Amino acid sequence: MNHRPYALLAELTYRCPLHCPYCSNPTRLPAGGELATEDWRRAIREAAEIGVLQAGFSGGEPLLRTDLADLVAEARGCGMYTNLITSAVGLDESRAAELRDAGLDSAQISFQADEAALADGIAGARTHRRKLEAARIVRERGIALSVNVVLHRANLSRLREIIAFAASLGTTHLELANTQYYGWGFLNRAHLTPTRAQVDEARRIAAEEKQRHAGRMDIFYVLPDYYEQRPKPCMQGWGRRYLTVNPVGEVLPCPTASSIPGMRFESVREHSVAWIWNESESFNRFRGTAWMPEPCQSCPQREIDFGGCRCQAALLTGNAAATDPVCSLSPDRKAVDEFLAGIASDDRKLPPWRLRTLSA
Amino acid sequence: MSALDGRPSLAPGVRLQRDAISGEPVLLYPEGIMALNSTAHDIVARCDGATTVGAIASALAAEYEIAREELDADILECLEVLRQRRLILFAA
Repeated sequence: MNHRPYALLAELTYRCPLHCPYCSNPTRLPAGGELATEDWRRAIREAAEIGVLQAGFSGGEPLLRTDLADLVAEARGCGMYTNLITSAVGLDESRAAELRDAGLDSAQISFQADEAALADGIAGARTHRRKLEAARIVRERGIALSVNVVLHRANLSRLREIIAFAASLGTTHLELANTQYYGWGFLNRAHLTPTRAQVDEARRIAAEEKQRHAGRMDIFYVLPDYYEQRPKPCMQGWGRRYLTVNPVGEVLPCPTASSIPGMRFESVREHSVAWIWNESESFNRFRGTAWMPEPCQSCPQREIDFGGCRCQAALLTGNAAATDPVCSLSPDRKAVDEFLAGIASDDRKLPPWRLRTLSA
Repeated sequence: MSALDGRPSLAPGVRLQRDAISGEPVLLYPEGIMALNSTAHDIVARCDGATTVGAIASALAAEYEIAREELDADILECLEVLRQRRLILFAA
């Protein structure tokens, strides 16, 4: 018996005004144009029919789609909770009002750092001040505001300042996500990965600040998994809780799954979301525990971490069915350890990073 | 002020909804879902920012046909769990 999905991530476009080097979007874009409005509406309705209660609108930058408010209204009309995951570039008074009227429940705005010079350097675009303005507009419109900051070597030393900055925006929810290495982030990981000493210091600061802001701002600290001993329970299991529809209409068990070589993902242009969720080969490939190799197969953790991340296994070992190499029990853990051992301790010795572009 | 005088309301960005698949009530919030049992639903549905906890307890005691004293502690505990998860707020 299959699980039902609870949340849909609608990646409306890969286009983005920012060029963040940690972006998890694919470095090679899939073929095919962006889905038309009617295809998105149908996909949203079909997702609601099989149980989806949450819709996240993401990208790229979802505000670049002029039909965003129509899609929010469609999801809201299906009873879904609607969340905009955005850089906030383009979120002015009239756009915020339009989205609020369409029923947008919450907006998560990404910031790159606590101050403009550093933030704009990371984004490869002068956007920090416009984001500040957008955060104010979101709050004033009565849309719940959450803030996300991706952490890496270039901003981790400012963690305390970043947390104080988020509090000053009036958010009650701050997500501090150490970079996960997919897409552009994987390409740039030698530059993005902090040293163990930096990671330990950041963890201590995050725990302290979490206490200090308790009751006013919830802080979620996403661990840097290369430095962990056990893998993350990626997506709470393949095809178990979540589904993603990418800009060209492919339905994926996780946003980065299209990076796995040799897998075919079905499109909402050709199949219903229900069929893809229940019947497609891609959604069933790593569902449950039968596919697992040792040491996962006999591991008491197998229904806690689900063997970790399939995309990470594919990126680090070439085999998506391998145990996530982050796990200290994985025969491939050396792929992670050797990478970490090669991290430059001196910032001046870091390789340059490649800013994300649309044409790789 | 007694805890029973507080006036709870759903926090901004939190919605009470019925799950079309299970028919059960759920609270929806940014990136999260909480399934409610029927008592929790009856409490949350009355969190309108105007009704006091005491009045919620009286209404539910009448509805369930039990003594109010048996309900106060359970209601306060339920609301405290929701408050800690920032799903409800108390107006002063």
